[in-house]
Amino acid sequence: MNEAIKVTNLRKSYGEQVVLKGIDLSIAAGETFALLGVNGAGKTTALECIEGLRKYDSGNIQVNGKMGIQLQSSSLPAHIKPLEAVQLFAKWNNAAVDNTMLEMLGIQDIKKKQYTQLSTGQKRRLHLALALINNPDIVFLDEPTAGLDVQGRASLHEQIRLLKSQGKTIVLASHDMAEVEALCDRIAVLNHGEIVFCGTADELTETMGKKYFIHIKTSQGGQTVETDNIGDTLLSLLAELKANDLELLDIKVDRGTLEEHFLEIARRNNK
Amino acid sequence: MTTFLYGLVLQFKLDKRSKSLLVTYYVVPLIFFLLMGGIFTSIMPNMKETLVQSMIVMGVSMGAFLGYPHALAQTYGSDIKKVYQANGVSLSFGLITMFLSAFIHLMLMCSVIVFLAPVLFEAQRPERLPLFYAALAIYLSASLSVGSALGLIVKNQAKLTMTGQLLFLPSIMLSGIMFPAELLPNILNTIGQIFPAHWGYRFMQVGGFQIQNLWYLLVILILASIVCGLLVKKQKFE
Repeated sequence: MNEAIKVTNLRKSYGEQVVLKGIDLSIAAGETFALLGVNGAGKTTALECIEGLRKYDSGNIQVNGKMGIQLQSSSLPAHIKPLEAVQLFAKWNNAAVDNTMLEMLGIQDIKKKQYTQLSTGQKRRLHLALALINNPDIVFLDEPTAGLDVQGRASLHEQIRLLKSQGKTIVLASHDMAEVEALCDRIAVLNHGEIVFCGTADELTETMGKKYFIHIKTSQGGQTVETDNIGDTLLSLLAELKANDLELLDIKVDRGTLEEHFLEIARRNNK
Repeated sequence: MTTFLYGLVLQFKLDKRSKSLLVTYYVVPLIFFLLMGGIFTSIMPNMKETLVQSMIVMGVSMGAFLGYPHALAQTYGSDIKKVYQANGVSLSFGLITMFLSAFIHLMLMCSVIVFLAPVLFEAQRPERLPLFYAALAIYLSASLSVGSALGLIVKNQAKLTMTGQLLFLPSIMLSGIMFPAELLPNILNTIGQIFPAHWGYRFMQVGGFQIQNLWYLLVILILASIVCGLLVKKQKFE
């Protein structure tokens, strides 16, 4: 595997509080990788250590390629205009401004506004443009869609897919399961400073066991039944409906969402 | 170099767009100059000899201690600093461009006073303008370097306002610009000498361009620059 990022036994504490308890990660070039975790799990600290923005206590971090970084909480001088910021950062990175990228991110449409006049979505797009200014090999996106509306999220997801199609390695920190499931090749779940799972979404589902959820809706309401024997449970449910003379309006069987699996992992590790 | 110049020009533009900086760099000092210029020269005609220097000390103190540190704290006390770092911009860049931009704005404000005071109030124009401007540049740099340290140390805007006032008020009350410092009680006169305003005021006066008025400003400038350098370095992994 051609590794873009390799992290070995990364440890970080803030005073008495241990935030990262020796995490190991290996991210392949061209991969879209998600770092999942509830608030306070250590995602942002881990990312900032890898990005070189935060000192860590021990461990080894190897990053192979140019980095572009979109931070979780970002800001710019209140009165700066988007194109001025783009120009400034391009000059600092000795990079040419990619007008196609600016066009795609809609930066040209907001060029006359000052930073404080931009909406949350516009600010996110601008910070993504700044992260991409040096045509990075590895793009770090920390909670990129936090605070965005549905349209803003869809637009940003489109951009992330485009980056992936260009062969860039994308490292995404998020607690939005739908986003992670839709965009990422692999997932690492961080809980209390430890990686408690690392693999694909399918592997995550497998680790949860062969658990099924049967959602049924009848004339008297709906219910969800959890089972590991789908055939027998379905037959007995249908028999019960017939015996009670209830009309079946809808039935759906699934193996649980990524969110449910994630919460289960977090719950197990909190015990 | 072009990157630095672009950054400096951009910072100058951003400062122009900021209403709070417009107020502290230009509006209040110039209104104060217009009001006090009229009052001072009417009730104390000999103030005409030092009106330019007095009003400049007031304007520089206001800009350097009440305006500039806030702009600096907005960058170094917020996520802007992190965005700069994450995107390859040197941390000292913001400090240097903001310092120079403030320097240019305050120089412009001072120049308005230098040229309007003789016209409006028959105030004495500085005799040797190059020497006067050299003295002003050193005094302004020393004041801004203190303002820089202030903006990097105190990141809370409310605390910064209070701390700024602690520098601004003694600067104008004890430096001798309102009344001769020699009339003050000894203790207040000594306290007044801690502030760059006391030395800058003397340094800019006719015949004041001398080493005994210069050394303290240079010490302040060097010490504050070292402190700022250390503070910026410390902020790298904060």
